[in-house]
Amino acid sequence: MKYDAVVIGSGPAGSVTARFAAESGAKVLIVERREEVGVPVLCGEGISKNVDNFNVLEGKRWIANNMDGARIFSPDGTMVSLAAEMAGNETGYVLHREIFDQELARGAIRAGAELMLNTRAIDLVKKDGKILGVKVKHFEEEIDIKADVIVGADGVESKVGRWAGIKTTLKPSDLETCSQYTLTNVDIEREFCDFYLGKKIAPGGYVWVFPKGKDVANVGIGILASLSTSGLATKLLDKFISSHPELKKGEPIRFLAGAVSVSEPYESVRDNLLLVGDAARQVDPITGGGLMASIEAGKFAGETIGKAVEEQKFDVETLSTYEKAVDAAFYNKLKRNYMVKEIMLGFEDKTLNMLADSLKDVKFDEISTLGLVKALVTKHPSLLVKLRPLMKAAKTKG
Amino acid sequence: MEKPKAIVDREVCLACGGCISVCPKDAITMIAKKACVNKEKCTGCEICIKTCPVGAIYWEGN
Repeated sequence: MKYDAVVIGSGPAGSVTARFAAESGAKVLIVERREEVGVPVLCGEGISKNVDNFNVLEGKRWIANNMDGARIFSPDGTMVSLAAEMAGNETGYVLHREIFDQELARGAIRAGAELMLNTRAIDLVKKDGKILGVKVKHFEEEIDIKADVIVGADGVESKVGRWAGIKTTLKPSDLETCSQYTLTNVDIEREFCDFYLGKKIAPGGYVWVFPKGKDVANVGIGILASLSTSGLATKLLDKFISSHPELKKGEPIRFLAGAVSVSEPYESVRDNLLLVGDAARQVDPITGGGLMASIEAGKFAGETIGKAVEEQKFDVETLSTYEKAVDAAFYNKLKRNYMVKEIMLGFEDKTLNMLADSLKDVKFDEISTLGLVKALVTKHPSLLVKLRPLMKAAKTKG
Repeated sequence: MEKPKAIVDREVCLACGGCISVCPKDAITMIAKKACVNKEKCTGCEICIKTCPVGAIYWEGN
């Protein structure tokens, strides 16, 4: 078996990479260890409406609900409202994530990619240090698949990166550990995604309530692994639900766990190999949202593979076109938001309450990091010391 | 005395992969849809136990 590219993982990053690589003429295989694309869902069912601009999805079956914006609740319950375009990547559409993933995979297949289910990558095939392919296990059978490019789209675990010598291990302070219910029979008819902050609610993270329909909601929690103890995420989520009457009367029809990196993006290219999506830590460190980044990066990765196949050059220089493109497209934002995350971690609940109180009446028609920081510092000069690094970053990077 | 090793309760694990991404010894792998600790590599650092959102990892023998 020989392919131009083998993509490990059929999540959004993998499927979109495969699609654009296949569209530009590459012979592509996706391997997926699960027996169904998109199942189980691993957290997160929110995405910006910017996804429409990428033309990677047909129809509307993947959309559960349309959102008008987000509401953020500080520890004392002060609410800050954000219009959808200001709230980042996680509001806009609430998804049926399994259908979303399957539609993206279908797009890749239609473009000519092949997909193998029940197939777990177990190592890279190398000779004298050069990557020649990937070793997979399909049920009990071990198979070596040769390829010029291996794409690690294997999510937060990022084993493919490790096999290639990229140190993808996350610090516990750079990982959110999550659990999530789909609750039914809840009273949730609204057009907002809600986020709840506070050390007692979700240390180093937040609780989210995403309405999937008038009586169905995706309610979940992410807490920082460095602040976690065994099973704490689920315990805190249960506590949150039981203290909110509109959710308490609901019953779960699905329970899931998840994990998402909140780190800076990692290096993502080697000779004959690239990483994309969560595997490359292309995730917003503030929100933990990575769907848009995965799709955008997947497009660049696929196009880069197409060019590499055309030129028959698969060295790190050639494949770096991809890394340069994602860097130019959104790495500045990820790096800046990583700083914000680090600063926010140092905030006591009372600081968050104070911030929310300052922002609750602000009309967020236009928002910039620098403008926001200036507004806060004018009201609360004591914040200046904490926010200074961010101000510097905002000035240099815009 | 040898340090204790982490072990996964396969009934409880939901295969989120969080433990795998933070294990500093690369000792955990997803096998048959469950996290699985390689005892040879595990140094008993406890990071995976603390990270697990559903409490599926504990000390062997407990």
